[in-house]
Amino acid sequence: MHATLLKAYKKMFLIRAAEQKIADHYLRNKIMSFVHFYVGQEAVAVGVADSLGKSDKMLGNHRSHGHYLAKGGNMRAMMCELLGKEAGSSRGKGGSMHMIDTSVNFVGSTPILAGVVPLACGVAFEQKFYKRKNITVAFLGDGAFEEGVVYETLNLAGLFRLPLLLVVENNLFSVNSPLTDRRARGHDSKTIVEGFGAKYMRADGNNYRDVVKKASALTRYLRGGSGPAVLECVTYRHMAHSAPIFDESCRAEDAAEVRKAKDSIARLRRELIKSGISEKTIARTEKNIEQGVEKDLAYAIAAPLPKKETLFTDLYV
Amino acid sequence: MSERILKYTEALREATDQVMAQDSSVCVFGLGVTYKNGADGTTGGLKQKYPTRVFDTPVSEHAVTGMAVGSAISGMRPIVHHGRVEFSLLAADQMFTQAAKWNYMFGGNHPVPIVIRIAVGRQWGNGPQHTQSLYGMFGSVSGLKVVIPSSPRMAKGLLIAAVRDPNPVVILEPRWLYALKQHVPEGIYVENLGKAQVVQSGKDITLVSYGDGLVSAREALSIIGEKASVELIDLVSINPVDHETVIASVSKTKRLMVVDTTHASFGIGSEIIAGAAKAGVLSSAPVHLSCPDVPCPTSTALTEDYYPTKVIIATTILKAMGKAPIEQTLSFEELHLAPSITLP
Ligand SMILES: Cc1ncc(C[n+]2csc(CCOP(=O)(O)OP(=O)(O)O)c2C)c(N)n1
Repeated sequence: MHATLLKAYKKMFLIRAAEQKIADHYLRNKIMSFVHFYVGQEAVAVGVADSLGKSDKMLGNHRSHGHYLAKGGNMRAMMCELLGKEAGSSRGKGGSMHMIDTSVNFVGSTPILAGVVPLACGVAFEQKFYKRKNITVAFLGDGAFEEGVVYETLNLAGLFRLPLLLVVENNLFSVNSPLTDRRARGHDSKTIVEGFGAKYMRADGNNYRDVVKKASALTRYLRGGSGPAVLECVTYRHMAHSAPIFDESCRAEDAAEVRKAKDSIARLRRELIKSGISEKTIARTEKNIEQGVEKDLAYAIAAPLPKKETLFTDLYV
Repeated sequence: MSERILKYTEALREATDQVMAQDSSVCVFGLGVTYKNGADGTTGGLKQKYPTRVFDTPVSEHAVTGMAVGSAISGMRPIVHHGRVEFSLLAADQMFTQAAKWNYMFGGNHPVPIVIRIAVGRQWGNGPQHTQSLYGMFGSVSGLKVVIPSSPRMAKGLLIAAVRDPNPVVILEPRWLYALKQHVPEGIYVENLGKAQVVQSGKDITLVSYGDGLVSAREALSIIGEKASVELIDLVSINPVDHETVIASVSKTKRLMVVDTTHASFGIGSEIIAGAAKAGVLSSAPVHLSCPDVPCPTSTALTEDYYPTKVIIATTILKAMGKAPIEQTLSFEELHLAPSITLP
């Protein structure tokens, strides 16, 4: 139990440390790529990723640094991509909103909201068509969950009984718009999803253990071949919608103190200490992770820019 | 009295405020339009002033745009805002196939007085899925009126004209121009939706552009100074295209150059060149500056050469006139950050 929890903690801490270092760099130097930070939502990415095997596939959205890293995406390639460098995972062409590392089956992320939902359905279709044992996960926010294509896809994936898991990261906001400004009275995600014959579960997205438990239940269900599922994780985004600045004016439930009190990383840390791991061991681990991240960022800062001619490459294969 | 200088975004806001005050059937729909700095500042404060007529919406472009089209069919005058052209594409059916065809396919007398405001084009760090312009696509749809405001003054006048027009009007707003400043008249006024404007008259060459390209072209002319006499035309409308104004100018200058801030293929420039060629008014090969036929990437190392700059425009004009090019290097800010200059 220890070992798995410690492993999860390290991954969550890695994501947070990376985002924090990138945010610091952003504030000092301005990163010329639109950046949406994942800070606060780490338990969701890691909890879901820990319920998957390496050959299961994952797709993400505009806020996908955490998804990518949780799936094992290469840190240096990500940092280089954010800084528009040649060694970036998309050779500088995509930037922060376009994460990809196919070596770990992170299939791609795109910022057109819910665009990846039918794409993930297609990835799951391939898995089913060739009778593979794997499943596909797509991450989307509560905002993206309002796009019509989500419902077309739930029906389609249900019709074909595809191994598709949609993880809805409900951080209560679409930019600064609260759910109450965007949802009909009586709107109920569970009823909607179940109305398509899909399986629905809701997890505390600020609690790694709850996420991994429910994600694991759903991935087992999906491997049984009964069709799509939705895992809604209620969580808090700690930073502004885009860029690291904290705008507190629109917050309601997720005020600064509440975010701090419910923070998934602090919580898991407390649990680890209670289970007998020493404060010193954890602190040492954290320091190592931070130093690693600093090195990766320094590497990316020093890395060369792409050559001008590459503007014209890659349009076609 | 000191001049009223407004930013492009403030001019759009003022136009919206004034048409809302005049016509109680004008409503505003869009993501975040109720925020303090809503729709990049173009709707800020309107919710407070018109609490029942400004609506933040779910992330449901297709349904929201369709709802607005439906309300327009019933006689309301909705303004829909899409923060990027890619988001508006989720509502392509409602814009291109429903609103644009409604009056024609029902044999007339079925107006659809909707305005769809769409931010388009270049912005640092936004990459292939957030910076398309797709001008040619909007220009090709019969039944839409499509304009591209190139300055704060045009932005205000065109938006007011669009709201008053009984047809579906799409306003493609180059995000690159949002910080531009200019004197903007205080009262309500309209700019002609379907008409190009001669910004500066000249006799050696006709230079046609629109939106952000027009702003670079203006700057190019100040670099050139007296070295060439350039007639600069702001196309303003790409649906319909005002070929008449361009042809009249080229008949005089005999030379044509166009500046696109989108791809050369199926861009706007090729349409202008075709019009002049068909009219037989050219005495030399037309010159076409544009973005390359690849998506706009994210890394600034790659976007540096993507858009035609004022220096390239100036040099190309001088070359067309058989004169020596100018040498000038642009700073990182000039290349990558939106201009906040004040236009005359
Ligand atoms: C189709 C589309 N419409 C609008 C946007 C603009 N946009 C980008 S992120 C965002 C908020 C999305 O909220 P949510 O899906 O809950 O994800 P979060 O940002 O909270 O992680 C919006 C409206 C977009 N990228 N794509």
